[in-house]
Amino acid sequence: MPLMPKRVKYRKSQRGRVKGNAQRGNTVCFGDWGLQALEPAWLSAANIEAGRISCSKFVRGEGKLYIRVFPHKSITSIPLETRMGKGKGEPDFWAAVIRPGQIIYEVAGLPKEAAMECFHRVAHKMPFKCRMIGRRQTF
Amino acid sequence: MVESATIAVERREQKGTRAARRLRSEGLVPGIIYGHKEHCVPVTVNASELEALIRHGAHGLLDLTIDGTKESAVIREVQWDVFGREILHIDFNRVNKDERVTIEVPIVLRGSAPGVNEGGVVEQMLHDLELECQAGNLPQQISVNINDLHLDQQITIGDLELDEGLAPTLPADQVVVQVATPEEESDGDEASEGPAEPEVIRREGGEDQGDGD
Repeated sequence: MPLMPKRVKYRKSQRGRVKGNAQRGNTVCFGDWGLQALEPAWLSAANIEAGRISCSKFVRGEGKLYIRVFPHKSITSIPLETRMGKGKGEPDFWAAVIRPGQIIYEVAGLPKEAAMECFHRVAHKMPFKCRMIGRRQTF
Repeated sequence: MVESATIAVERREQKGTRAARRLRSEGLVPGIIYGHKEHCVPVTVNASELEALIRHGAHGLLDLTIDGTKESAVIREVQWDVFGREILHIDFNRVNKDERVTIEVPIVLRGSAPGVNEGGVVEQMLHDLELECQAGNLPQQISVNINDLHLDQQITIGDLELDEGLAPTLPADQVVVQVATPEEESDGDEASEGPAEPEVIRREGGEDQGDGD
């Protein structure tokens, strides 16, 4: 079952535009290493799940995986070969709005090389360019 | 007494966003020195020197050389860009060696926990510890030995072997690291459960709220 909200106020939302960079959720908080998005995108619940599966297969028994994004936005679509008009389509999937800088996943308990290998696999599932970053020192 | 690192800073005359951007493009980081009810001094620091200092740990007391004079300070805040690639601004707080300060120090795990071989996963709950101590005795980091940590065991702040004079501000029963049994995670092969769509919140009385577009 892909991720989606349990209760929503409205079934459908306007598309909007993904503007600017991530001003929140752009630091590694829970783990030691994080996967950071470098481009804006809608990350579907299926994408998040695919990344989780490929990452959890790698970290199983050794480390811990944290997912830092949640698909709050419903994306609608109309069926193929449908004439124009007749209103907005039905919800097709749920997506997280990703801005550049957003941390998508974090892993803890893995050495740098293993975390890099893990995120290398996950990055193939992501619909944008991403990179691995480490924990930043706090003062 | 912990040895303090030295970094050279220069007094800065230009202020404002455009001047700060110009400085950053020249490989300098704008910063400020404040504290002790003295005047705030805007300064610049060499970016590569500062990054090297922060990378190798700059949690202790620093000696700042400014116009040939020396001032002791601690780093109070570092501002990074959105991607965490470059330092945008740095705050230095003037302190004396004998003054008591409150500062966050990183916690570093040492060794390997035997609980991992028993099927557990090491979970570090606390990555930084806020300490109150004399500025001259500030440690660069706090090492936690996990060589005796078995499955379902934990180390709390009270269990940490801290040097004399270091007082954590958090309660002693707060967990620093534990070896927990990993949660069972599905591989996505099982049949889907739950409703296909989320429940829509409606006003009492059953009035429809519409589709929201």
